Amino acid sequence: MHSKPKALWLQGLTCNGNSHSFLNHPQLGILMERFELLYHPHLPCTLSLEAVVTCMHECDLLLFEGAFEPTMRRAGVALERLLEHYGACAAQIVAVGSCASFGGVFGSSGGLDAQSQAWSEKIINLSGCPIHPEWLALILSGFAEGSAFALDAQRRPKALYAHLVHHGCTRNEYFEWKVDAKGFGVNEGCLYYDQGCRGVLSHGSCNRILWGGVSSKTRSGQPCFGCTESDFPRRDLFKTRKNMSIPHEVPLGVSKRAYLTLAGIAKTFTIERLSKDLMDD
Amino acid sequence: MIERRLIERIEGEAELEFEECEGRVAYATIRFEHMRGMERLLLGREGRDALVLTPRVCGICGHAHLMACVLALEDAYANAGHALTLSPKAQALREATLSLEMIQNHIKWWYLVMSEELYALRGFTPPKESALRGAYGAQIINRAISALAGQWPHNSYMIPGGVTCDPGALELLQAQTALFEATRFVQETLLGMELERFLSALTCKEITGIQSDAGRVEAMLLELGMQEKGRAYDRFAVLGSHGFAAPARLRGTKTYKIDPAQVHTEAAITLRGESMARNALYRGTSYETGPLARALQRGDPLIKNMHRRFRDSTYTRIFARLYECALLLERTAALLRGVVLGEASWIEPPPIERISAEGVGIVEAPRGPLIHRVRLERGIIAAYEIITPTQWNLASAPRERPGPAQKAMEGLHVSEAAFVFRSFDVCSVCTTH
Ligand code: SF4
Repeated sequence: MHSKPKALWLQGLTCNGNSHSFLNHPQLGILMERFELLYHPHLPCTLSLEAVVTCMHECDLLLFEGAFEPTMRRAGVALERLLEHYGACAAQIVAVGSCASFGGVFGSSGGLDAQSQAWSEKIINLSGCPIHPEWLALILSGFAEGSAFALDAQRRPKALYAHLVHHGCTRNEYFEWKVDAKGFGVNEGCLYYDQGCRGVLSHGSCNRILWGGVSSKTRSGQPCFGCTESDFPRRDLFKTRKNMSIPHEVPLGVSKRAYLTLAGIAKTFTIERLSKDLMDD
Repeated sequence: MIERRLIERIEGEAELEFEECEGRVAYATIRFEHMRGMERLLLGREGRDALVLTPRVCGICGHAHLMACVLALEDAYANAGHALTLSPKAQALREATLSLEMIQNHIKWWYLVMSEELYALRGFTPPKESALRGAYGAQIINRAISALAGQWPHNSYMIPGGVTCDPGALELLQAQTALFEATRFVQETLLGMELERFLSALTCKEITGIQSDAGRVEAMLLELGMQEKGRAYDRFAVLGSHGFAAPARLRGTKTYKIDPAQVHTEAAITLRGESMARNALYRGTSYETGPLARALQRGDPLIKNMHRRFRDSTYTRIFARLYECALLLERTAALLRGVVLGEASWIEPPPIERISAEGVGIVEAPRGPLIHRVRLERGIIAAYEIITPTQWNLASAPRERPGPAQKAMEGLHVSEAAFVFRSFDVCSVCTTH
């Protein structure tokens, strides 16, 4: 029998949101059976934190959550020292969440991969504030299987981040016909024009792999805040910056001219069905 | 000699420092080392940005932060002369998802913290699947939150004027089905009896000796004498107004008035080193907050009975959390049944740029009252202050007037003291935020 790969979950400055989100995976038990869990902030594991910080152990997979602050100490040992040791022995390092990937809410000096050239090639960034449990499950299963993932320029797995949050949003048709939401608390209309939605500008699978298997921010009327991108948290999260009533930023990879042309045409039509409440006759 | 103990798996870490006398704790202090400075991150931002950022204080009670934040913003609106009215539907949904978050917190605390520690303290290995059971129960509840609020953790679906979602019959059913499944889990696995029977029990006798996870925990608590240990001041504070709680100060079961404006903080004191935490006090006096405080305020018969016999012991404190979990399951189901789908989700408030005022938002979070105070200048955050429930319970104060958890640890052996400390449901990230 092969011994199971050893996984270690280490935290920098964090809210624990990613570790809690991961606990929401419906098949958590089956998933974790494939690993020997050395340390996790909530799940039963083989080492205490005090044993982890002795750096007398080795891991195959390092899961790092939170912003990396080199001088911050865990159980009295500097994070820099812990990362140096476990980063070196791990075959793969997963930056779990946006703080670890890019600095996020709590980081002041960028993501993990900015910290050391030596192992930046081993890093997979799983951005998101927090991550969806299935995103991490994909990486864990891949690691256990020995499969490699194609990564984008920011070292995020394309399988998850090649898509935009916009893909699969229930408001897509309103986006196409330039019908804006008449405020919050409605299922009709797109949130891109006034409410600050960044779905067309953010990589992620929130509307493909639903949260809790049932919903997402935009499905529940919240604008996408772009939490998977390196500039999260941006400012003025509930409004759209506009120039002469045109959104300042147009969808990713679409030229302003192309966007304006199409938007201009779409706006010349009034689609009755889309201007009514969904529940109206 | 000072003995130190690192307490981990508490949403971060804390260090307990003990001064002992003949092997027993004479004085204990609590040190939190990490701080992120959330309040500072908010300055200069548009007020509503706080709805996105403040939930990130905490991965397990972020939704309580969201609600405290939205109430603070709405209070600022009111103080600026624009009192907002919410639809009953928006109010019910807010209260429902807040309660759901509390339920999943209590389930996780029970399985992933208390029962694991209790087995260890008794020298047993906990059953392998025990922690996963807790994760399962919590996961189902979080599906219910997601059906209404989009996701958990870290949604921002409460905004001034109401909620962003407009659930239909389908979304409501998804939430109700999840709640039903979680209730079944709690009845069959955790309690070993119907919610109704547990909630209407009048004495400990009616729940003792049941074959269930709660029954096993109860037996171990009694074996350890936890009904006699872990007593603090028998003094409690509740500040939030909900269907499940009303503001009050309590000495034992006697209630007194409370004025949230009298809540203040002071720097924490430790035997060695520096703590990043601040103690929360009411007019210079410390109070215990959380499920036990709320249970006594509500007058839950079973918890009152336990309290009469064992006062504010660790046993009583632990069962108050379990009781609240059951109570909220029942009440949240009733709240969701009462939701009228056709009502408005959101009533548009004046633009936030017009608001220059202070506001206070108070909710009961899983561990007690959570206070957000904001000052807006033309809609921009000029000041923000957060006071969390753990700042009350885990206050680390001078030996003449120790905080509730400090007091509860006095006279115990160190390993028991660490367990008693955890019975307060410690959250490191909230304490310092
Ligand atoms: S609300 Fe956002 S994600 Fe949905 S269609 Fe509009 S832009 Fe795309």
